[in-house]
Amino acid sequence: MRFIISLLIGLLVGVGLGLYLGWIQFPVEFVNSSMTDVSPRFKEEYTVMIATGYSGDGDLVGAVERLRRLGVENIPAYVQETTERYITNSRNVDDIRYLVTLAEGLDRLTPIMEPYRQVSVPGQAS
Amino acid sequence: MSKRSPAPPPSLPEEMPPPRSRYNRPRRFFSIWGLVIGLILGMGGGLAYAWTISPVVELSTEPWQLRVEDRAHYMVAITLAFAGDSDLNRAVERLLTLQGQNASTDIFQQVADTACRLASTGYVDSNSGLAAIRSMMQFYQLQGRSGCADTLIPANDIESTAVVVIDASTPTLPPPATKTPTPPSAVEPSPTAPRVVVPTSVPQRDFVLANVSTFCDAQISGVIEVFVQDFGGVGIAGMPVRVRWDSGDDTFFTGLKPERGPAYADFEMEAGKGYIIDMPGRSDPSSQQLVAAPCTTDAGRDAVTSYRVVFLPAS
Repeated sequence: MRFIISLLIGLLVGVGLGLYLGWIQFPVEFVNSSMTDVSPRFKEEYTVMIATGYSGDGDLVGAVERLRRLGVENIPAYVQETTERYITNSRNVDDIRYLVTLAEGLDRLTPIMEPYRQVSVPGQAS
Repeated sequence: MSKRSPAPPPSLPEEMPPPRSRYNRPRRFFSIWGLVIGLILGMGGGLAYAWTISPVVELSTEPWQLRVEDRAHYMVAITLAFAGDSDLNRAVERLLTLQGQNASTDIFQQVADTACRLASTGYVDSNSGLAAIRSMMQFYQLQGRSGCADTLIPANDIESTAVVVIDASTPTLPPPATKTPTPPSAVEPSPTAPRVVVPTSVPQRDFVLANVSTFCDAQISGVIEVFVQDFGGVGIAGMPVRVRWDSGDDTFFTGLKPERGPAYADFEMEAGKGYIIDMPGRSDPSSQQLVAAPCTTDAGRDAVTSYRVVFLPAS
């Protein structure tokens, strides 16, 4: 009886210790994750990078293809939403400009984006 | 004072202290063995549960945790952004997020190695992919690194940058203010209502891309057939449709081939290229590009994949 009680107490303490170690102290670190699993912060960062690239080369097909890796269903709506969030949160102005350029390329230019449009002279890169 | 003699040793058995043995040790409240076995079993079970059955749900996956393929695409985005803004510090910061625990390795050489790997795959078949690898090559070559992409990818013809000289007119200074007082206006100024900029909602789209299907026909090779219909399935003529590719775009209209009906318009693709289709200002662009990939017909003839695209009014 004494042994059984000790075993049960040991089990309880051990389970608690195991859960603490497995969930808090040494949690599982996932590798080989897909781009769709990346945190929202890095999704935004990725979108800004694609928008920056698009501002440079004007390759909309490539930009859309790259954004598709994020697993977003409606890419134009996603770009518009991200751009408006950047504007509302007063994020980096250059980033906003790049995003606005991409949103414009996707026909998603809205009034709030107008002040950030990059107007280019014909024959000159924006 | 008399000396007290030491007490005589007990002679009777009941006076003897009991000999130490496993049978007459004082009982502990716990069994050590029970505790140890319980701890080991419990900890093993707890760890198994926490690591395999119900691991921590990860909400903050970082780029270094991506699989190799997606890390390569993240790296492509970094170098494309560098090509756009020329901000090396930012590019390096971004590359470091791809490093994770292997922060000691040469990040620029990693870019060269990744470019090499991508250059030896079908990634370079599209112009977008080729441009992406060239951006990587430019990035690592500027840092004095090299890779097999240097030999696999032909050198890019550097286009001369067109310099546009704008003759700006000389600004004219506004005339100085006179000392004549402005006569008071008879009209009372009314305060202007403060302008509140509210984030806009998704623009209303008239049409949606309802269906995209492919077919392989040697007679109609590499063609995008577009149909724009109303709610009742009746074709609408005169609707603009736009296709965009990596180096250009074209807009055409439905109904210009009456023999195919008012809903119809088509566009001939160039083999190997990818296209995005939309109705400018009326629909969102297709999220998936239409690729003019080679295909084989049922009769065994070579052709280029064609697409049939249907736009319907948004509900």
